[in-house]
Amino acid sequence: MAVILEARDLVKRYPLGEAEVDALRGVSLAVEQGEFVAIMGASGSGKSTMLHLLGGLDLPTSGEVVIDGISISALDEEHRTLTRRAKTGFVFQFFNLIPLLSVGENVALPFLIAGDPASRHRERIAELLALVGLVDKADHRPDQLSAGEQQRVALARALATKPAILLADEPTGNLDYTTGTEILDLLWDSADRLGQTIILVTHDARAAAYADRVLVVRDGEIRDEIALGRRKDHEARPLIRRLAELGL
Amino acid sequence: MRLATIAWRGLLARPLRTALAIVGIALGVAVVTATIITGSSSEQALRSATADLLGRADLRLRAFDDAGFRPRTIQALRALPNVEAVAPVSERRLTVSTTPGDNERVFTLLVMGIDPEADALVRDPRLDSGVPLSADSPTDVLAPASWVSRNGLELGDQLLLAGRREGMPPLRIIGLMADTGLAARENGDLLILSRTTLDESFGVPAPIRYLDLDLGDEPDEAAIERVTATLDEPFVVETEADAAAPLASAQEGFVGVALLFGLVSLVLGAFLVGNTMAMTVGERTRELGLLRAAGTTSRQVLGIVLRQAAALGVLGSALGIVAGIVLAAGMIGFLSSTRAVLVVGLPLPIGGLLVAFALGLGVTLVGALVPAMRAARLSPLEALRPSRRTDRGLLDRLRPLIVAELVVVAAAMLLVAVSGIRTPILPVLLSLGLLIGGAVAAAFVLEPLSRITGRPFERFFGAQGRLGRANLSRDRVRTGLTVGAMMIALAAVVALGTVAESARAGTERRVASILPGGHAIRVGLPLDAETFRPTFEATVGVEVASPVLDVPVVRVTDGDQEEAALAGIDPNVFDDENALIISGAPRADAYAALRAGGAVFVPESLARRVGIAVGDVMGLALPGGEIHELAVAGLVEFSLPARTADGALLVSTADARDLFGVTAASLWIMVPQADVPSSVFAAAVRETAVQLAAEPLTARDLAVELSRSLDRLIGLFDALALIAVVIGALGIVNTLGVGIGERVREIAILRSHGMTVGQVQAMVVAEAAMMGAIAGVLAIVTGLLVAFMLVNGGASAELAAGLRLPWPLLVAVLLVGTGVAALAGLYPARVAASLPIVRNLKHFE
Ligand SMILES: Nc1ncnc2c1ncn2[C@@H]1O[C@H](COP(=O)(O)OP(=O)(O)O)[C@@H](O)[C@H]1O
Ligand SMILES: [Mg+2]
Repeated sequence: MAVILEARDLVKRYPLGEAEVDALRGVSLAVEQGEFVAIMGASGSGKSTMLHLLGGLDLPTSGEVVIDGISISALDEEHRTLTRRAKTGFVFQFFNLIPLLSVGENVALPFLIAGDPASRHRERIAELLALVGLVDKADHRPDQLSAGEQQRVALARALATKPAILLADEPTGNLDYTTGTEILDLLWDSADRLGQTIILVTHDARAAAYADRVLVVRDGEIRDEIALGRRKDHEARPLIRRLAELGL
Repeated sequence: MRLATIAWRGLLARPLRTALAIVGIALGVAVVTATIITGSSSEQALRSATADLLGRADLRLRAFDDAGFRPRTIQALRALPNVEAVAPVSERRLTVSTTPGDNERVFTLLVMGIDPEADALVRDPRLDSGVPLSADSPTDVLAPASWVSRNGLELGDQLLLAGRREGMPPLRIIGLMADTGLAARENGDLLILSRTTLDESFGVPAPIRYLDLDLGDEPDEAAIERVTATLDEPFVVETEADAAAPLASAQEGFVGVALLFGLVSLVLGAFLVGNTMAMTVGERTRELGLLRAAGTTSRQVLGIVLRQAAALGVLGSALGIVAGIVLAAGMIGFLSSTRAVLVVGLPLPIGGLLVAFALGLGVTLVGALVPAMRAARLSPLEALRPSRRTDRGLLDRLRPLIVAELVVVAAAMLLVAVSGIRTPILPVLLSLGLLIGGAVAAAFVLEPLSRITGRPFERFFGAQGRLGRANLSRDRVRTGLTVGAMMIALAAVVALGTVAESARAGTERRVASILPGGHAIRVGLPLDAETFRPTFEATVGVEVASPVLDVPVVRVTDGDQEEAALAGIDPNVFDDENALIISGAPRADAYAALRAGGAVFVPESLARRVGIAVGDVMGLALPGGEIHELAVAGLVEFSLPARTADGALLVSTADARDLFGVTAASLWIMVPQADVPSSVFAAAVRETAVQLAAEPLTARDLAVELSRSLDRLIGLFDALALIAVVIGALGIVNTLGVGIGERVREIAILRSHGMTVGQVQAMVVAEAAMMGAIAGVLAIVTGLLVAFMLVNGGASAELAAGLRLPWPLLVAVLLVGTGVAALAGLYPARVAASLPIVRNLKHFE
């Protein structure tokens, strides 16, 4: 399988007063097309920082990120944005939606941003709304939706342009067990059925267990890599056992 | 730490926003201050000019007949006991030119002849420079200082009187008259020279129009009796107020409109403060809640917010007073150089400045009252809960504001009334009410209007346009008030422009109606119709020269007599459809009656005032002569100008001659042949006029002349409106800034989905431009309403014909509103575009 995302020796250093914080201390990884990778770690371990660098939202202090053959570290701000637009989709923990746009408009947002009239993508938007089960709420405002529904809209939006990589940062962090499971099922479905490449950041082993492979992050470094393979049952126990063995 | 410190820190935490609010208030106070100073300067000028019109004279007698007073009468008056001085003034309209050559200039103006020695006894020559006229100064002339500088002349320059006798030396300017003295008349288009010089220059002496008499200390009834008994000629006694009336009316209108702008700017400033404080309170809800939880009373919270506002108000008002003095200096400079309104010096009326300061502070506090009360009402629990917008209805949220602003306006008007500046208060108040009403209404129509006006922007800006429009409804009160403030400024421009355009249209109509064919010659002394007709008809290209036989008469009603003026016109010359706008009877019937004789056309204003209708009979007589009964055959909207303000009563030439014995005319209508171009004919008419030492008139020049001072004032007011537009733009900067602060996370999300820096900028600029466009649309509606009210409420006959829309101005207002707003959006757009993505995503995670 082809490598769609590659990171080489990523270092991210934040200034903190006089001193500096090393949020990432040399992270390298490769993700193959169609792979579902989870990045796991405790709060503050550097997961979000890593996701932001992988998605081109921020630049590493040193190191390189290559998305679908494009080295984004070498690009200027404008081209990095355009690459992001073309290649990635993001889902964050909460406040993902533009409150003044309807659900349908939120899903169509990537097209709007690309200067592509939403009217040309009506079918695609309907398909996405069907995928997340919100066809009848297309005209609702985000604040009329539950938190789980809002995350489903965010997911539909992230998938809208069929991006090369979907990056999700704790998408279930704000949800209860049932709605969280709905989101994870949707993620798994799009990976399994649609062949979507996914990078999921989470601190929750139950969520990470949906992935084919789990990268364990601690203090800004990848400490371990656990291959789970694609499993329909999403059983978390093997992962938890493995983590325990590693003393995590 | 004292609570006041919290108030200060609140302001310092947001330096840009605080600065914007202060500048807003300062600009508003500046315009009010400048208006008060300019108004006071103009009052002073008016007082001084009025005093100079009569000087120390106790009595002014104005000749009733065009022939004026006879020199013999002056001798007789001077011989009377108690009469210490008799200063005669003769008048003649003349064409004057500078020395021939490349720069030769030609003017038509009023030339006054005085007896220098006698005149010095009744008034001081108020000269800016040079020397007064002396007893024998056959070539000396006094000219108004601003007329001289406006026309690029200087002391010592030569002037030539057109049509002067052969061999007379040119005149020389030896003194520059202060604009606020005698030179205040005629908009400063006048010259003064010795009466002897004036008379010797032409074949016939200029008529002596009035006599100013000094009757010594405490003149008694008997002294006045003796004077009037000495006069053979019919006369009218004129008071100082009569003489000053034409000067005063211009001032009142000016101060009224200027004040409207001042108050508009002030209200805009208050909007800005209200918005600023509301944003501050909104942002610091949590902090205020903590204070409340820690035991701060709601009164103390109210105090904190009001103290912030007071600080803004005091600073802004103080700055505004200083800026206002500078602005006033500019306005006074402009007014005195263009002579649009009479002004003198830069007075600093302490009372007026205090009023301006109090108004500034007052509107600031009122503007802050609503947010302050909202802050004070916060319960500690409510404030500590994660932010949730109170979702009260729009009207609920706006009601206190509406009431508060109306109270301020009323208070402001009262203050102004008390401070003693003369102005028609009611129209100003109503206009202001309409404007503020429109501004408040902006919040309600924002959504539907944005859907319509937003369309071109969405087409142009794409997604950014759609997002920008969505942002407009984020906080409809805030956006509505911001749009409303901008709207007020633009609406003032629309209203003024429309009134001015309508007045111009009215003036054109008026001039066309009294000058059929567009050309005429006015002579200083009436010329005999039969004798002089050939001279007039010798003009190249003339079809007919029609004399208007004019004569002063009295209107007799039940033994009472009232001064009136009669003019005999040729019905055939005036019977074209633009001439004489007739009401009360069909045009054809009216003219048929006039031709048949025994009929009169009456000016509408006179008819309205004394209750005359078509079909009535009017008794007219020469002073002391036989009474002729004439049937009122029609009312005319505008009549030929005459000594009476209403204009002349019109009869046929035949009636004027046969019934009233008039054979001479001072106005000659020059009708061109059909194929002669107007400019060629105008030159020919000018030549004839110069030959006769008379004044050529064209409808176009007359219309321009009548609109001139209006056009200048509009220029000044547009400058004031621009200040208001700037305040409106500051409001947009402010509101956009807060909106961006509220949605940094949202912008980060958009950026993460591939929105470029440029697109973020375009989104904010689109939002700003839409605000401007909506403001422009509302401004046109509201401005036209205000104009409609002013036009229909105004007593001026020029405006009676109704509104004429200044289309280019309306388009310009829409474009300027959109453009200025888009410009105002540039800075917030840059701020929005430079927001870091990652930090704003993390903020919440
Ligand atoms: N903008 C920043 N400035 C300074 N330190 C930061 C910044 N962003 C993240 N950090 C630090 O980097 C480390 C990793 O943060 P983050 O990637 O958000 O962790 P995680 O997502 O795993 O909770 C933390 O110690 C955090 O404090
Ligand atoms: Mg994180």
